[in-house]
Amino acid sequence: MTALAPSLVAEITARTLVVCGSALVTALALGLPVGIWLGRSRFRGRVVGVSLVNAGMGAPPVVVGLVVSMLLWRSGPFGALELMYTPAAMVIAQIVIALPLVVGITLAAVGALDADWELQVRTLGVSPLRRRWLLLREIRLGVLAAVIAALGGILSEVGAVLAVGGNLEGETRVLTTAILMYTQMGEFGLALALAAVLLGMTLMLAGILTVVQQGGRS
Amino acid sequence: MSDPGERPALSVRDLRVRRVSKSGAFELAVDALDLFAGSVLAVLGPNGAGKSTLLRALAGLEPPARGSVEARVVGPVTMVFQRPIALSGSVAHNVRVGLAGRKLTRSETAARVAEALEHFDIARVARRRAATLSGGELRRLALARAFALRPSVLLLDEPFDDLDPAGQEALSLDLRRVIEDTQVAAAVVTHDLRRALLLSDRIAVLLGGRLAALGERDALLSRPPDVAVARIVGMANLIEGEVLPREPGAELAQVSVGDCERVPALTRLPAGTTVWVGIRPERLKLDVGRGEGLPFGKAQVRSVVSDGVAATLLVTWAGHELRTHLLAGRGLARTVAVGDSVTLSVRPDDVHLIPRDAPLTADA
Repeated sequence: MTALAPSLVAEITARTLVVCGSALVTALALGLPVGIWLGRSRFRGRVVGVSLVNAGMGAPPVVVGLVVSMLLWRSGPFGALELMYTPAAMVIAQIVIALPLVVGITLAAVGALDADWELQVRTLGVSPLRRRWLLLREIRLGVLAAVIAALGGILSEVGAVLAVGGNLEGETRVLTTAILMYTQMGEFGLALALAAVLLGMTLMLAGILTVVQQGGRS
Repeated sequence: MSDPGERPALSVRDLRVRRVSKSGAFELAVDALDLFAGSVLAVLGPNGAGKSTLLRALAGLEPPARGSVEARVVGPVTMVFQRPIALSGSVAHNVRVGLAGRKLTRSETAARVAEALEHFDIARVARRRAATLSGGELRRLALARAFALRPSVLLLDEPFDDLDPAGQEALSLDLRRVIEDTQVAAAVVTHDLRRALLLSDRIAVLLGGRLAALGERDALLSRPPDVAVARIVGMANLIEGEVLPREPGAELAQVSVGDCERVPALTRLPAGTTVWVGIRPERLKLDVGRGEGLPFGKAQVRSVVSDGVAATLLVTWAGHELRTHLLAGRGLARTVAVGDSVTLSVRPDDVHLIPRDAPLTADA
């Protein structure tokens, strides 16, 4: 069995955190406003939108990987960007996976507020920007649930990042793709070591977020 | 009070608000309505008459299809909703929420919050989480939150909903006092006529989206313009009659009811006019032989119901069921029983005649 250099573990872990972190931040920046809007507005076809979001929450990562690959492929519509097999491609795939989770959970949290919540706050003369802040405060338990779900989804996901990233050493190898690779090579010791890191990280992040969420219950 | 020369705090002119819902299209039409500082307008009307829509339009929350709602005041126009929300955080935080961004110093904000909490007697729960408040406390919080803004116009949607009678009583007294202290111009929508009357000095009646009547409270209570308004303002006794030819020199007119019964009235309506005879329950007297009103007939007591404060008697007279209120536990109310025969009397100026051919929803 080959030994795994601590520096390599650190590098793969760091890349995993950067890719997942970027995807999470982008998914939140896009998904929170969309979720709030979908949760509060009433328009024709809203049900269709919500259904699409709900379906997206269960989209198989490997299919997401396939679709993103087709879009980023050299001959595809975004081929000129030369993103295929780069960390950026992995971030894009993970955004696609995380976005429906963020939108879906946010819109459910917003839907639980009183129908005239916005009007009531408006009659207190609160500015639009501060209204948005108060709304986020009101739905923060839901937002944290969205963060936990999205992070859990993309940290543990392997199909999409493998398809669009290719598990290139030093470039697009992350924890899940490395574990998969070592498992296929029969290097169970290495796979187990990386798996322990991934599990530890997942548990720690979920734990921290849960403590924040439950502490903010007032 | 609203003397005619006073400038209104809020003016509605030629307002049309259209709403389309699952139950169909609805239009609210109000040609003119004013709110005055220190005066409370009660908005009455059956369900679906447009009371809440009017209130929201006054608050600027319903875009008018036509016309205008103009506030001519320095302070804000604010509204307390039928089901007030509790923002997460403490009661004090909830009261403070509208004060951010108003260029107040810390101590000014603190003083305003303390004052508002004090006004509505919830200072002792200031640190509690707003979500843990009882229904009554939440209403008081919503009112404190509104008054902390020092509003010039305050709109209240069913402020006594879900409160027990004692809570309603206490809240309406506090509210009346704060309105007088702050000289806010207020409008209150409520289905509870007695609460509305306790709080208000003017009344607007909405029927099917139209302003059916608008006027000083006491004038409108005793002289509603038509039968529909009369029913809404609690003129429960409405019977058909006809004005009889007046005897020469007589000041009083007589109105015939049925074949041989008569009610005295003060009216200029010509003889032969068919009318609705309206008598408010509290103005219909029984067996009072001390100059209060003129006796006009014998009636049978059908039922006696008391809530400990007021006793309501149903009596039949000339084939009609009439209603009268007495103070519970006093005088006649102690001794009267179902089946008793009583003498009805009324002051002629308490008898309100509405011509039968009067158009419905005439403006008062």
